[in-house]
Amino acid sequence: MTAAAAAATEDDRALVRAALDGHREAFDELVRRHQRHVYQLCYRFAGNHEDASDFAQDVFIRAYKGLRSFKGQSAFSTWLYRIGVNVCLNQVASRNARRTFGFAHVDRIEAPAERADTVLLRDERATHVRAAIARLPKKQRAALILRIYHELPHDQIAEILGSSVGAVKANFFHALANLKNLLQGGS
Amino acid sequence: MKHLTRAELLDAIEVPAQLPAVQAEHLRQCARCRSEADALGAIVTRAAGERVPEPSPLFWDHFSARVAEAVRSDSISPESAAWFGRLRRPLTTWAVAGAATVLVILSVVWRATVHAPTVRRAAPPVVIARSTVALPPIVADNVDADERWAVVRVAAEDLAWEDVQEAGIAASPGAAEDVALRLTADERSELARLLDQELKRNGV
Repeated sequence: MTAAAAAATEDDRALVRAALDGHREAFDELVRRHQRHVYQLCYRFAGNHEDASDFAQDVFIRAYKGLRSFKGQSAFSTWLYRIGVNVCLNQVASRNARRTFGFAHVDRIEAPAERADTVLLRDERATHVRAAIARLPKKQRAALILRIYHELPHDQIAEILGSSVGAVKANFFHALANLKNLLQGGS
Repeated sequence: MKHLTRAELLDAIEVPAQLPAVQAEHLRQCARCRSEADALGAIVTRAAGERVPEPSPLFWDHFSARVAEAVRSDSISPESAAWFGRLRRPLTTWAVAGAATVLVILSVVWRATVHAPTVRRAAPPVVIARSTVALPPIVADNVDADERWAVVRVAAEDLAWEDVQEAGIAASPGAAEDVALRLTADERSELARLLDQELKRNGV
């Protein structure tokens, strides 16, 4: 962990203590600090902006409710990721039954000079990859998302998922192998 | 020939520099392992290239405001967490301990002075005499002489009303009226006398 990361972790712990002492603005600051990562994690599972936004809000509300259970043994971000993965895995299954996966949201910002056909092709590829990831078993999906998109080390992923480093590596390996088959089969 | 394990293949694509010399050499010479590592690497590259669309810049402010509003609503409250936080503060701990002591002693005094006569009134005269004798030697009219009240006073001396309120020790609305309505006429009369005496003593 770098000095900056260690300082940020300590700051997070101080904010948690303040929030537990009844200073809600301390929790607001924690939300501002981590909302982007939490939203991105949720988007990876949900595949659309609306659900990702709802899931992310749910993550923070659950974190707020359970703040007392944060003992500070891990980084606050690790604890938040753990809640995030649990929320997403639970919610995605129920929502996928109702919605089509992978539609891009309306708030998306595109580069103005980009050609429409380039955008379409990229969107199609992105949708294809997302749909393939969505078909992976839960633990494989979580390991792949945390490793590739959040660039977390295997030991931190193990902490988040409550499993061993060996199990995480095995899940990640199988996720890549399955993803390869799914993408080859679909293209 | 021993091919690379799954963990070694992952190391080969994630941290190739950390692959032990024997495995690195094997990877250079083994077409099958190299092909497998290349395929996995290509998948990682392809997946990593898929970015989450960036929401509107206004979204973040809107989002944090939404969460703040949700956690401030009555239905969502880590009250137990806040309680634990407050209980860790020394002043609050003393406030809670003092208030709890006050409640316990009030309960004892209440039973000895106001509640006890109710029992005595319902019993035959002979029993009245025995009950009176059996009562603990608490002289309710002279609370200054009572050592138990002295403990309460010392504990409550530095207790600010705001601290008690903040600690959540407050009667619920209507609780006092509810208690008063349950008292008998004698009990109400005794309560009024005690309150009157207390007010006079404090010069109100």
